[in-house]
Amino acid sequence: MRLPIVVLLMVLSGVAAAPPSETAYHDGIRELSARNWDRALELFEVALQAEPDNIRYGSEYRQAALLRAKTLHGREGKPEDFDRTLKFFEQLTAKSPGAANAYLNQGFAYVDKIPAAGAITQVILANTALGHFTKSVQLRPSWIGYYTRGVSYLFWPKIFGRAKLGVEDLKTALKIQQEGPRKPYYSRTWVALGDGYWKTDDLDMARAAWTEGLKEFPDCKPLEERLAKQGDDLKSLIEDALDPNKRVDTNLKDLWVTP
Amino acid sequence: MTIWTKRIVVASAFGWLAWSGVKAKIQFADVTQNAGLARAHRTRRYPGPKGDVLRMFTSGGAAAAAGDYDGDGLEDVFVTDSDTALPNHLYHNNGNFTFTDVAEQAGVAGGNDPLSIVADALWFDYDNDGRQDLLVARFGTPILYHNEGGGKFRNVSASSGLNKFGNTIAVIAFDYDNDGRLDLMFGNYFKPVNLIELKTPHVLPNDLDNAVNGGGVTLWRNLGGGRFVEVTEIAGFGKHTGWTLDIGHADLNNDGWQDVYLACDYGTDRIFFNNGDGTFRDATEQSIGFDTRKGMNVDIADYDNDGWLDIYVTNITDEYMKECNMLWHNNHDGSFTDISKETNTCATLWGWAAKFGDFDNDGWPDLFVVNGLRSAGKENYIPLLLPLITSPGVDFTDVRNWPDIGERTWSGYQKKKLFRNVAGHDFVEISAGAGVDNDKDGRGIAMADFDNDGRLDLLQTNADQQPIFYRGLTAGGSWVQFQLTGTASNRDAIGARIRIRAGKLTQIREVDGGNGYAGQSMKRAHFGLGAADMVDEVEIRWPSGRVDKLGPLPANRLHRIVEGGKTLSANSTKG
Repeated sequence: MRLPIVVLLMVLSGVAAAPPSETAYHDGIRELSARNWDRALELFEVALQAEPDNIRYGSEYRQAALLRAKTLHGREGKPEDFDRTLKFFEQLTAKSPGAANAYLNQGFAYVDKIPAAGAITQVILANTALGHFTKSVQLRPSWIGYYTRGVSYLFWPKIFGRAKLGVEDLKTALKIQQEGPRKPYYSRTWVALGDGYWKTDDLDMARAAWTEGLKEFPDCKPLEERLAKQGDDLKSLIEDALDPNKRVDTNLKDLWVTP
Repeated sequence: MTIWTKRIVVASAFGWLAWSGVKAKIQFADVTQNAGLARAHRTRRYPGPKGDVLRMFTSGGAAAAAGDYDGDGLEDVFVTDSDTALPNHLYHNNGNFTFTDVAEQAGVAGGNDPLSIVADALWFDYDNDGRQDLLVARFGTPILYHNEGGGKFRNVSASSGLNKFGNTIAVIAFDYDNDGRLDLMFGNYFKPVNLIELKTPHVLPNDLDNAVNGGGVTLWRNLGGGRFVEVTEIAGFGKHTGWTLDIGHADLNNDGWQDVYLACDYGTDRIFFNNGDGTFRDATEQSIGFDTRKGMNVDIADYDNDGWLDIYVTNITDEYMKECNMLWHNNHDGSFTDISKETNTCATLWGWAAKFGDFDNDGWPDLFVVNGLRSAGKENYIPLLLPLITSPGVDFTDVRNWPDIGERTWSGYQKKKLFRNVAGHDFVEISAGAGVDNDKDGRGIAMADFDNDGRLDLLQTNADQQPIFYRGLTAGGSWVQFQLTGTASNRDAIGARIRIRAGKLTQIREVDGGNGYAGQSMKRAHFGLGAADMVDEVEIRWPSGRVDKLGPLPANRLHRIVEGGKTLSANSTKG
């Protein structure tokens, strides 16, 4: 039986065309390259509205906002540069309360704003970010969720006693990663777990974590560096890595570009 | 690596070579007890269930002002207290490094009324009669005392026009219009509400990084005849509503007019350039940008001897808040670059006063910084603040929302910092070796040569604690001091710029009228000369615009110079 030509064309076009969200995403990347900031952000928002749980769309959207802020206002940008993404993710999670990755990116959007903010506002932003990371973990326990929240806890000054919560999250992340195929970026968990132990004054456990990690990831420079340092040198290295005034790389591209 | 960083790296290498091996060890001795200055300050206690929160927010008030009120050639010092009915202290310098409190006899002990809190003090000759008058700044209305001579003062507040209520924490005297009379600027912390009789609990900062509900500043023009009139709005300061903690003045752009830097808690510091017509322009955005830090102190000096004055501001850099101080390097074009990290002057914990002074007389201004908010019990207040800060929608202005502090410590027991200037490109922290690493809750610094030995001494005031009096013992290089007397200019010569050349170094100083939080230093200009035994050239640019040139002049002398270039005396001293 021969299909009518119109039906055939419809089927073929349906198979060949990318989903609207993917089209919008790629158009956004193109506009971003052309430094058409507002248009790029609009297109990423279209993509995210169609797929709120798409972690890549959310990450690239935030990176676009960050690039715009740095380009227009230098260094860390102005605090208001980050308000568009914050507002958008707030609306997105309200409309899609089950989208774990939307909450994750919402938390990162707050983290992105931290270096541009004042010291007290930084605390508020960091705490709000933690709330969104928690929501993400509650919706869908995942390596990225636990790893992210665990590391976030480590940025808090010791006096707030949150590092031990970070260690617990990182142990969970470790358990998750050990149950599946090995990924290069899983070395980060060992680094952070050791840092967490160090921050809870358990240097032996810290060294054990870094040593174990180096066995699994022998080329991991951060692990090597930590094991090679002691005392004030080690303190300086970890405090520098966990300095809340320094911009944290929140680009999640490793998750989809790493084999 | 930025251009600045490169400059510092290269210059530091040379500076270190120049410094190492030839510099004297900076040394101070704590002589508080023997000097007779061991009277503890006490902060104001407030009534009501949240009284301790207000006490914490107003835990300044321990101030010191150095000045020779009796003209005997020895710097005396006025030290404030703050609790109800407690007297202030006028310590007369007996000349043997002991002091006698003569405040009651002099008539200047009062001020801590039930509804007013003494917070700062300032010596200045407002009527150009050659005697130092005294301004006592308060959370309340200020008190102006006229120096009658013979060790007596008369309260002339009522006739002065200085009758406006303000929660004043800082005051400076400077001649903003170069008319030969010293004007006053008050830095106000809270908005003008009486904190002791609270009508509303909404008095605290509306934002902890960008507060705009503070007391701002007021500027008062000296009309002569003992009268002052407020010119805040006309002069261009009316829009500033920040939580001013300190004021610094200097000619920052070398145009002959005094400019102003405001250090503000909970938000943006401000810089105002003098237009020369009685008005100022807010140049914050172009000059320094908008910050969100907790500005506590302003001191101004040419730390790198490039002929342009630089600014040092303390902020809070503690375990839980990493703001970093600001050493604003003057870029010579009206803008400034913060190089505190590059020069190692960034972290001084919960900073308060900081003062530049050449403690080893090597020709490079060093820097002493005091710190510490509240040293009390083992428990820490900070964890209690987290729920307040992170709870959505909490009204920070409402004093009832702040947790009680009780006996908790908040940024207490902090070691003071003394930075040795390494050839203007780097600073090295040496407080422990210099004997000044005390852990009191520091507030102000009054710096003077109290024993006329050519070495700078330091009086550190502390909140709810005794002050600490440090005698400078450094066996350093040569020095020279200038005490200026204006004729066409204000008699105190505040704002006069002195440039000297001695050996290979050219240095500048400006006579200031109270720069630095809660501490007024002597008005004499002190220069370290290193190995030079002669000042080759001296140029004095007076506020009137007149320029006098002198020299060569001998080193290790205090030179008293009158506008017009006449040298009254050149006293050799014990040093």
